[in-house]
Amino acid sequence: SVLLLLAGAQALVPSHRLAARDLARLRAVLERPFSDVRAAYYSIVGLSSLGVRVADEKAACKFIKSHVDSSSVESLFYAAQSIQVLSGCEVTISNETRELLLAAVSEDSSVTQIFHAVGALSGFGLPLASQEALSALTARLSKEESVLATIQALETASYLSQQADLSSIVEEIEDLVARLDDLGGVYLQFEEGIETTALFVAAAYKLSDHVGTEPAIKEDQVIQLMNAIFSKKNFETLSEAFSVARAAGSLSQNRFHLPVIVVPDGPAAVSHQQPVLRLQVTNVMSQLLTQVSVKLDQAKSVSSKATVLQQLPFVLSGDFFELNFMNVKPASGYYDFSISVDGDKRFIANKVELKVKVSTEVGITNVDLSTVDKDQSIAPKTTRVAYPAKAKGSFTADSHQNFALSFQLIDVNSGAELIPHQTFVRLHNQKTGQEVVFVAEPDSKNVYKFELDTSERKTEFDSASGTYTLYLIIGDATLQNPILWNVADVVITFPEEDAPSTVQSKNLFVPKPEIQHLFREPEKRPPTVVSNTFTALVLSPLLLLLILWIKIGANISNFSFAPSTIVFHMGHAAMLGLMYVYWTQLNMFQTLKYLAILGGITFLAGNRMLAQKAVKR
Amino acid sequence: GRLKALDAFLLYVLLTGALQFGYCLGVGTFPFNSFLSGFISAVGSFILGVCLRIQINPQNKGEFQGISPERAFADFLFANTILHLVVINFVG
Repeated sequence: SVLLLLAGAQALVPSHRLAARDLARLRAVLERPFSDVRAAYYSIVGLSSLGVRVADEKAACKFIKSHVDSSSVESLFYAAQSIQVLSGCEVTISNETRELLLAAVSEDSSVTQIFHAVGALSGFGLPLASQEALSALTARLSKEESVLATIQALETASYLSQQADLSSIVEEIEDLVARLDDLGGVYLQFEEGIETTALFVAAAYKLSDHVGTEPAIKEDQVIQLMNAIFSKKNFETLSEAFSVARAAGSLSQNRFHLPVIVVPDGPAAVSHQQPVLRLQVTNVMSQLLTQVSVKLDQAKSVSSKATVLQQLPFVLSGDFFELNFMNVKPASGYYDFSISVDGDKRFIANKVELKVKVSTEVGITNVDLSTVDKDQSIAPKTTRVAYPAKAKGSFTADSHQNFALSFQLIDVNSGAELIPHQTFVRLHNQKTGQEVVFVAEPDSKNVYKFELDTSERKTEFDSASGTYTLYLIIGDATLQNPILWNVADVVITFPEEDAPSTVQSKNLFVPKPEIQHLFREPEKRPPTVVSNTFTALVLSPLLLLLILWIKIGANISNFSFAPSTIVFHMGHAAMLGLMYVYWTQLNMFQTLKYLAILGGITFLAGNRMLAQKAVKR
Repeated sequence: GRLKALDAFLLYVLLTGALQFGYCLGVGTFPFNSFLSGFISAVGSFILGVCLRIQINPQNKGEFQGISPERAFADFLFANTILHLVVINFVG
């Protein structure tokens, strides 16, 4: 049983299958009226994979015969394959057509063409040289490496005689499996998409069945492929629907791998009223499998990890496999069921883990309400209440007395003590609408206790004195009868000085006080007087300079009125003026432009002037 | 004569720069870019003036063979133009 546990822990469980609804959708797409021979092929062969016959086979046969294009190998393939499925549909093939098909089976045709030609010849029942076809196929396959071409090669080989050595093609299955993308350990699919993945599954099993060799696909990989293919619930094109139908057909009927799916009837839960766990076993197409044996390997409690049941078979009753779990009187809670399905060596995913919930009803007993004197000078007054009655009179809790509550919770059916998840004591102020909720905790003997001390709890109550209604709330996922019980009224009095003048209901949805934005404070500047004084001060050295120059005797007398001199001085002055204008108005680009002009003039004039000066010297 | 005039100019520039610096110490650095601009103008002008003085000083004639006083003055004007272009850009 240890080995069984390991196997159960490692095996993947299918997460997707073709449920009845999905099948209906698939059929709806495939049962649309035919638009051309290819659509007819998809519908007829797709439906037959699901085990469904076309509604009007005679009309379908007529359609194909009238719409087939005898000059196209592809059209002939669709016609041939469809005719094989339809009963009582015969067609005569002319010599020309036969020659066309045989000629297409050569190294010069693409893999798709070879596939269609071989499929057509096989479908029409015409003789075919398998060995030559195989060599053409192998030669062509080494040149075309696409996934779709390889898949078509697999299916082509399934039409060839078993006497030819098809092992090289069979090996391609393993290579293709290596090219699948693993998505999160749950899905396995080609990057080309689900349609390609589904076609691969169909072709791989068709070929494997034909040659009698188990395909090189591991059990976990089959389940991952299943998950990917059947995760598609909407079929946009007929070819998509066709591929999924063929994959479903392959996985429900082949010689090697049959995935099984275990479906509980409704939620996997049992109780005193419903003691029987019912399961259905189906294949991927939701077809019931009843020739199987379903066994409970073991049932373990999730909380205590104790094994409650071992090696018990389920009993087949109609469509369901049943087991009465309540016979062993399990405690309420969750249980891990390890179930195995046997009956066919081909079964995979036949060991499943199921979480089963056992529910029960809770009863409250020994409910005692008491007022306990803080000084312990007076004996506590205890009143017993029985659910669902309300205690008569009210209890008080104030600075001298505490209020106390104690009770026990038991399983009504077994009498065992219960510790549910939710055991709350809710106090509701009748006047203000305030409510305060506490958790009642069990002690070591599983007796629940709650005590209200006004001095300790005044913050929760906002010191609001008044009459409070006390409710007991008991709940849990495994309880069928959650309890909301108005037990008693409690008058709570808080010390006067702490009581708020008005009790505001803590309304979270009123506008909060507005926040004023603080703009950036401007820098502290000196008063205007100071800066003006400084400006005057800073200009004073200029005065000094002029005075000094006069004293030194800068000779303005030497000023010659030559044109270049005048131009120079004007230009220079203009440049200085430009600086001022730049400061006030212009940007760098404009300034540079004007500066270039003025500077040029000034330079030329200045050059002449200085040259003249130099000459004079 | 010329040197004395230049010296007077240099004194003027020095005083202007010192006054700006003192104001900044007293009142604060706001706006800092204006202070820098003015101060750099003073310092830069002083340096260029000193360069001009060295170049036109007859005592240094031996070291500046290829540069006539007129050329030195022209250089002085050109450098000042560029300096004050940047200064005006920065003063804000």
